[in-house]
Parts: sequence; C-alpha cells; structure tokens
Amino acid sequence: MGSNIYKNKRPLIFFLLPAFLFMIIYLYYPFFRNILNSFQKISMLGTSAKGFNEPWYQNYVEMLTDRNMQTALKNTLIMMLVTIVFQVGIAILLAVLVDNIRVGQRFFRTVYFFPIVISATALGLLFNLIFLYNKGMLNQLLERFGRDTLMDWKAKSVALATMMVPVVWQYIGFYFVILVTGLNNIPEELYESAAIDGATRAQRVRFITLPLLRNVICTCVVLGVTGSLKVFDLPWVMFPKGMPQNSTWLTGTYMYYHTMETKNVDYGSAIAVVIVALGIVTSKVVNTVFREKEY
Amino acid sequence: MAKADSEAMDRIYVKEMEVSQMKRRMFSVLVCTTMLASLFGAAAVKAEGVELNVVTTFAGEDSNAKNYQAGLAGWEEETGNTVNDNSATSDETFKTTVVSDFEMDAEPDVLFFFTGADANSFIEAGKVLSIEDIRAEYPDYAANIDDGKLPVSIVDGKAYAVPTNGYWEAMFVNTKVLAEAGVEMPGADYSWDQFLADCEKIKEAGFAPVAAALGNIPHYWWEYAIFNNEETLAAHTVIPAADAADAWVAGMEDIKAMYEAGCFPENTLSATDDETFQLFVQDKAAFLLDGSWKVGGIVGACQSDPDDISTLDTEALDKFDVTFVPSRGRARKASDLIGGFSMGYYITAKAWEDPEKKEAAVSFVNYMTSDDMIVKFAQHSANPLKEAPEVDADALNGLQVKAIDFATQVTSYTGAVQDIFQGECRVPTFDGMPSIVTGDVAAADAVAEGFAIYAESQAE
Repeated sequence: MGSNIYKNKRPLIFFLLPAFLFMIIYLYYPFFRNILNSFQKISMLGTSAKGFNEPWYQNYVEMLTDRNMQTALKNTLIMMLVTIVFQVGIAILLAVLVDNIRVGQRFFRTVYFFPIVISATALGLLFNLIFLYNKGMLNQLLERFGRDTLMDWKAKSVALATMMVPVVWQYIGFYFVILVTGLNNIPEELYESAAIDGATRAQRVRFITLPLLRNVICTCVVLGVTGSLKVFDLPWVMFPKGMPQNSTWLTGTYMYYHTMETKNVDYGSAIAVVIVALGIVTSKVVNTVFREKEY
Repeated sequence: MAKADSEAMDRIYVKEMEVSQMKRRMFSVLVCTTMLASLFGAAAVKAEGVELNVVTTFAGEDSNAKNYQAGLAGWEEETGNTVNDNSATSDETFKTTVVSDFEMDAEPDVLFFFTGADANSFIEAGKVLSIEDIRAEYPDYAANIDDGKLPVSIVDGKAYAVPTNGYWEAMFVNTKVLAEAGVEMPGADYSWDQFLADCEKIKEAGFAPVAAALGNIPHYWWEYAIFNNEETLAAHTVIPAADAADAWVAGMEDIKAMYEAGCFPENTLSATDDETFQLFVQDKAAFLLDGSWKVGGIVGACQSDPDDISTLDTEALDKFDVTFVPSRGRARKASDLIGGFSMGYYITAKAWEDPEKKEAAVSFVNYMTSDDMIVKFAQHSANPLKEAPEVDADALNGLQVKAIDFATQVTSYTGAVQDIFQGECRVPTFDGMPSIVTGDVAAADAVAEGFAIYAESQAE
C-alpha cells in the first residue's frame, strides 16, 4: 500500500501546475502578446493599440533600413565573439592556473567571482569614473606617464571597446566558477598517471584538462552567447542612448530606447521579437558547433 | 522482561507523542494569536490615518529634494497620515513611467509633474481634477496662489496643477575663467557675434567656452537657438507649420556653427551633462546654459559636504554669476528669457473618488503649497503667491542673491516650446543633435522628421 503512492504520478500535477500557470501568465502570454504588439500601433507603454500598422509588418521592413538597428546587430555580434574569446577564454586560463596552484585557491576563487555580486549599475558608475575624460583614473595614469592631452575614452573611435571591457570583466568570474567546478570533477589519478609517464604540466593541460573540460566549456559558450544578446544595464549606464553618435547600440539597449524613451512601443516589441529569434538561432548554431561529447 | 520493556517503551513513546502534539498545538495557537494581533495592529495603525501615494520630481540632485522631504515629514506629523513617496529624478524615462501608470490605472494620488504636452494624455482621459472642480468643493484650495500664474493645459485651457515655484533658463558664468581669458562679463545687450568672439578668446586661452553635453542634454541650447530665430516672442509658444519652421532649422544650424567653431568641450558628443558640469565648476569652462534650479547644483559643488550647507566655500562660490543669453538681434533681446511656471501638484481622479483619500490629498497639496513652503521652494526663483512675503536675503547664499538681482533685469519670460512639443517629436533633434552638428543629418531633415512625428500624433 505504502509503495503504491509512489506509482501514482497524478498528484505531481498539482505541484507542477502553479509553476506552469505562472509561466503561462508571466512569460508565454506576454511573449505571444509582444509578437502581436509588434504589428500594431502603440505610442505609449500601457496604452491600447490604435489598430494595425500599414502594412502590418511595417516595423520589420523599417528595421531593415534602420541604421541604428544595423549598428545594434553588428555590435551584438561583436559582443558575442568577444564573450567567447575573452570572457570564456580568460576564464579558462584563470581556472587552469588556479587549479594548478597549491595554496590560495579559495582566495583567488573569491577574488575572481566578486564582480558578479556587484550590481551592473554600480559597476557602470565605477567604470564611468575610471574612463572619465576630465581627470578620470586612466587619464590621470596617462598624465603620470607624460601624456599632456586628455584621452576621450568614450569617443566614437574607441567607445565600443570601452563598453566591452567592463562587460567582459564582470562575467569572467561567473564562467571561472563553472570551469573550476568542472576541473574538480577530473580525477586526480589521470594527472598522476600522466606525470609518471613523463607528461609536462602544459601537456597535462592540453591532453587531459581541456578535452575533459570540453562539455563545461560548451555550456559556458552557450550561456555567454545567449547572455550577450540580453546585455543591457551596464552598457546603458555607461553609454545611454547609443552615445556617442549612435555607435554603441546593442539590441537590448536599442529595444529599451524605443520602448521607454521614444515611446515607439510597437517598434520596441519588434526588436524584442528579433532578439528572441536571434537567441534561438545563435544558441542552435552554438549547440551544433560546440556539441557536447559523451566520454 | 522483554515484553515489559517493550510496553514501557511504548508508554514513553506515546507520552512523547502527546507532549509533541501539545507543543505543536501551543505553537499553532501562538502563531494564530500573533497573526491576529498583527492584523488588528495593522488595522489599528491604518485607522490613525490615510496613506497617500505621491510621485514628484523632488529627488536626487533636485535642489528642493530636502525641502520636499522636510515638508512631507511635517505634513505626516501634523495630520497623522502617511505618504508612500515614489519621487524620482525627472527625465524622459520618468515621464514615460508616469504616463504609463495613468494608462494602467496605477497612477498615484498626488502627482507633481509637468503642465505641458507631457500631461496631455491623462488630462484628456479625465484622470486628474481641474483646480476649478476641486475649488467647487474645497473653496480654500490653493487660495493663496495667484490665479494668473497657474499654468494652464494646452488641452482645454484649464488649470490643473498648483505650482510651487517658477523657473528661468539663463547663462551661468565662471568669472574666474572669463578673467583669465580676458573676456568681460556679458550684460543685457549681449549679442551673438560678441558671444562667438568671446568663445574664440576663451578657447585660445585654453578653456572650453561652453559646458554642454550635446550628445546627452542639448535641451537648453536647442530652446534658445530656436527662440533666437523667431520673428516674434509669441511665435515661440506655438508649434509652426512644418513648412514654416525656418526658425527651428536656423536654430539647429546655429548650434552646428557653434560646434564647428569649437565652442563646446572636445568630448561634448560623448560626455554626460554631469561631466560637462564638472568642467564648469572646476574652472575649465566659462559658460553654462541651464535652469534656475542649477543654482543649487553649483552651490552643492562648492561645499565639501554636499549635504551640509555649513561646509560651503563662499570664496569658491563667489566666482560664479549668472547672466543673459546672447541674442541674434531678431525679436528676442538678450534679456528676454525662457521661463515661467511649468510644473505643479495634480490631484488624481483616483484619489478624488476615494472618500478616505480625497480630503488627505487636498490637505497634502494645500500644505505643500502654503506660503511658508512656497517661499522655501521658490528660493531665488519666482513664486506664484498672491502676496509674496519679503525674501530674507540673509538666508540666501551669494549666488542666490546674484540670481535675484539678475531676475530684476529680465524684460520678459516666454514658455519653453519643448514643453508643448511631445517627447517623441523631439527625438530627431534632441537625440539626433550629434548627427546634426557633425553633418551626418541635415538640420532641415531632422526638423522635418520631428514635425512629421508631431503631425502624426496630432492626427491621432
């Protein structure tokens, strides 16, 4: 009798239902509603639509010729590549280095993870001071090294790099922790055997660590790529409204701009649909390229 | 023996179960009692007063943020009511949030907000009470305010909001920079050509002539550049036809010419307004075009502790002054300023229809716009009172005294046209200003785009 209660799965539905309803109401309904909104005329957040656009797909056509949208897509693509190369790359490097030291592992884990717990807005303000034109930290350093003119770190020519440095820096710790956890799962015996066989430290990393860490790296890459589509807070604090001269738009910041600043809500909705579509496509591509392997 | 042990164990077990159940019952009773007590306690607290939801722009760097908090605390103490304050710094996001809240029936009970086009949607929807309607039931409502100074809505010409203070927009001057550059303090006859010549001298002396972030807050120069090119002063308070917007195009061209002449800081397109303001207060820029509220910001920058006025460095403050905005020599003289009353307290229909909140809302606005409060809020700017009390000059700082003296020389105040040109219409020339000044977009095209959006919004 007692064991039968575990065979009856029906009660489980009562536990799954609340979360399911929550997702329907607060995620899927708004999502499909947003697709509909992207075809309608909505001039203010919260207002009802004033009919459909003419033609109904007008926003999507407009997007094709919108230079700022093209900039946002290009920058987001760059952000994805930077995420893979630098965010995940540096995280791998740090994780392997920390894994190979005997003392201070916990210290370095805390140090590298710390930026994650600071709010992105606070980090944005912090980096604003670092990159400040008038006597910011970097310009003061340059002055110490003999430079007599101020460097505008937010000028159009370098703005994108200035924006990406803190974004990359912020999330390295996140992937670092995931990778360190993956490293801990590699049996010590493999390294010992390799050492007995005469493998150098570099060879052990190349032939044991990296292959066995492949699946974890794949997860990090997928998270990084999809995450870069949604980056918003830190870039918005540092470069509001695509400053300077519309050169720093990302899909997330451009969507917010149209929804909250220009009150062109339907266009913002259309951008949101494109972000979701891009997210699905890129994660599919990344999953295919970095397919996990069974060992 | 084993059986006796087993029975004894059973008895102990049963006893433990009973004790356990009793503990659980006692715990349940305790929890229920606590919940009931807190429920009745909350009801008792609630019975003492009403909670008003209030949204204002008196937050962050606003020079009246502290006055507002003090007034709010005073009203709470006097009435026993409480305020759920959701004030925030005024910007485009704030405006959107307020208007959206009205659309979603989530508006506050009392709102301190703009009286121009930004308020059109909720006035048209009948979601705020006109002062006339409130006075029909509360004749003393805003009775101390001069009705001639009540800002009227462009929707129906009625007054809805009770102002606390007026504003003007003028040019703040760092006299130390001017002296080092060998430039004289501009006066009421300041011409555009003289201004450009002064900018050249200031630039040659190694300073930025004008502290402005064109990529962030071009609003003030935008307003005066258009005003300078109008045929009459009155024309500035009317949106012209799209094909008669010559003054607007000429205004944008003037800003472009200033940019090309190097009047703005090198990083004007990438800097924020805060950053260029720092250039001004740190003796690296000569002029700052801003509103009367900026007096508080400049004074704050001269205090070692921005929250403590006793730390004010009066010597540092003495180098700042305020003067007239150069004139193009058309209808506007340098002493004709942008200014007036453009914000005030609204009471929403939501609060009005709630018998508990109605009286509290009226009481709150009356308290915050009483003579005493208005004198505190207006400080060096105009006040809307029928009988304005004497300003105690001893209570003012040096820059406020200069500002009051300056205001006596002003020949006229004209409302800002951007207040009646809705947010989205301004985007091509506000957010698009960097593209205009760098030549990426022609001034005429940017202006035409704004007018096209305006025409579309009017058609709706």
